[in-house]
Amino acid sequence: MISAGIDVGAVSTKAVILVDGEPRASAQTPTLGPEASAAAAFDTALARAGLRREDVRCVVATGRGRARVSFATRTVTEIAGAAAGAVRIWGPSVRTVLDAGGESCRVIHCTERGRATSFLWNDKCAAGIGRSLETLAGMINVDVTGIGELALRAGESPRLSDFCAVYALSELLDLVRSKVPAEQLVAAYHDAMARRISTLVGRAGVTKSFVIVGGLARNAGIVNRVDALLKVDRLAAKPDWDPVFTVALGAAVFAEGFSR
Amino acid sequence: MDRSQIVAGIDSGHVDTKAVVMSGGKVLGYASAPTRLDPATAAGTALNGALADAGMSQSELAGIVSTGIFRDVLESPALHVTATVSEHMADARGALFSNQKARTVVDLGGNVHKIIRFDGAGNLVDVAQNDKCADGLGIFLSTAAHSLGLSEPELSELALGSTGSHAIAIQCSLSAQTDATDLVCQGIAAADVARAALGYVVERVASLCRSMPLAEEVVVAGGLAQSAALVGQLRTALGVHLSLPERPQYVGAIGAAVRGQP
Repeated sequence: MISAGIDVGAVSTKAVILVDGEPRASAQTPTLGPEASAAAAFDTALARAGLRREDVRCVVATGRGRARVSFATRTVTEIAGAAAGAVRIWGPSVRTVLDAGGESCRVIHCTERGRATSFLWNDKCAAGIGRSLETLAGMINVDVTGIGELALRAGESPRLSDFCAVYALSELLDLVRSKVPAEQLVAAYHDAMARRISTLVGRAGVTKSFVIVGGLARNAGIVNRVDALLKVDRLAAKPDWDPVFTVALGAAVFAEGFSR
Repeated sequence: MDRSQIVAGIDSGHVDTKAVVMSGGKVLGYASAPTRLDPATAAGTALNGALADAGMSQSELAGIVSTGIFRDVLESPALHVTATVSEHMADARGALFSNQKARTVVDLGGNVHKIIRFDGAGNLVDVAQNDKCADGLGIFLSTAAHSLGLSEPELSELALGSTGSHAIAIQCSLSAQTDATDLVCQGIAAADVARAALGYVVERVASLCRSMPLAEEVVVAGGLAQSAALVGQLRTALGVHLSLPERPQYVGAIGAAVRGQP
């Protein structure tokens, strides 16, 4: 059976094709408009899987722009998608999922079957952490993965405000006047954003097993600091799974269920 | 310094570093470089670019005057800064250079926006700068453009064609970006989102402008003033004539160089 999940996120749109329960192909594209970006991600993933749209039994859309995908049969929330996707990849021991995306961060508690039971969404002032890291990466001309690696290379780093990403960036720019090297500034920014994320996770509470999914799960600078702050055993990233596709996978898992 | 001497002005900003080479009351060369958290390197790049644009070499310079937020940290080995000028003074002098009747300059930078009033001799009369929550307007616009798959000039161009009336939050750039994202995810056309993003920036700047009387004529300066759509919306919001220099992003650098000349 072939199903598909499309996660129309605030920053990027992800598609996953599931064939007989196994992820066969995926694709990611910037969200420039929900319908067009969903179609672009879906068609690219299909091409990578060597399939056509008519081969797919059910398409489920999720994410911020999910309501605007005309070719999706059903929609599910990104909360439901994250839980279902995380359990499909990391197994039934998963109870807490941190979904750290471009625009927002969410902590989801779930059952061994991947059903979300509760969640906590970041407040407005903690929005845009992923996007602001992209902005910072653009300012120093490195890519989003590179900036996380850069943060790991710094030893000591100054402390920035973690109340708001706008404040943190302003404080960072002011520190340039004190000639703090760029990698320390980048590390300081990651540290502030990781504190912000860890506060959210702490407030939601962590029940084992714990996993991190979403685009920020690719950022070693953030993940290492969140680990250090939370001191919780986290299930390690899977070498053959890119965590940015987890919510789309969860939607595909729902699609599988709907077409049975 | 004699008037025919060649002086460089460098404006070391949060986001971009601008350089000009001037002599005899004329700008001979312009160049800019992204600051990238490394003001000294960017200043060297911008200065060399401006010298190349003028067809000159650094040995011909009688002096280098720096301004901007990072004006005090430009000491890469090759760069001998001879004087520094505050950003406010540089803006005032640069605005007067572009328009002798100017008495106010609205400087729309990458991270900070400010309003400076001055007299006919370029002496400062009053200054207002944004509060911290309104930092990062330029950075916000770059991010908004990027999130629409556009360059900043494309965003401005597209916004000019929009008749949409979507509004986004005016608390801070973070909420504004969240709201802009929501519009995109609702399938709102890019031109209308672009217009709304500019509208947020304009409302922020206009509210600062209302905090002090603007003495005419009013010059708009800074990188954001390169957007015709933004300047148009600001003109409507303020109801005053805005005088737009040919290259508004260089007003500070020109002001610094002017201060370095007699």
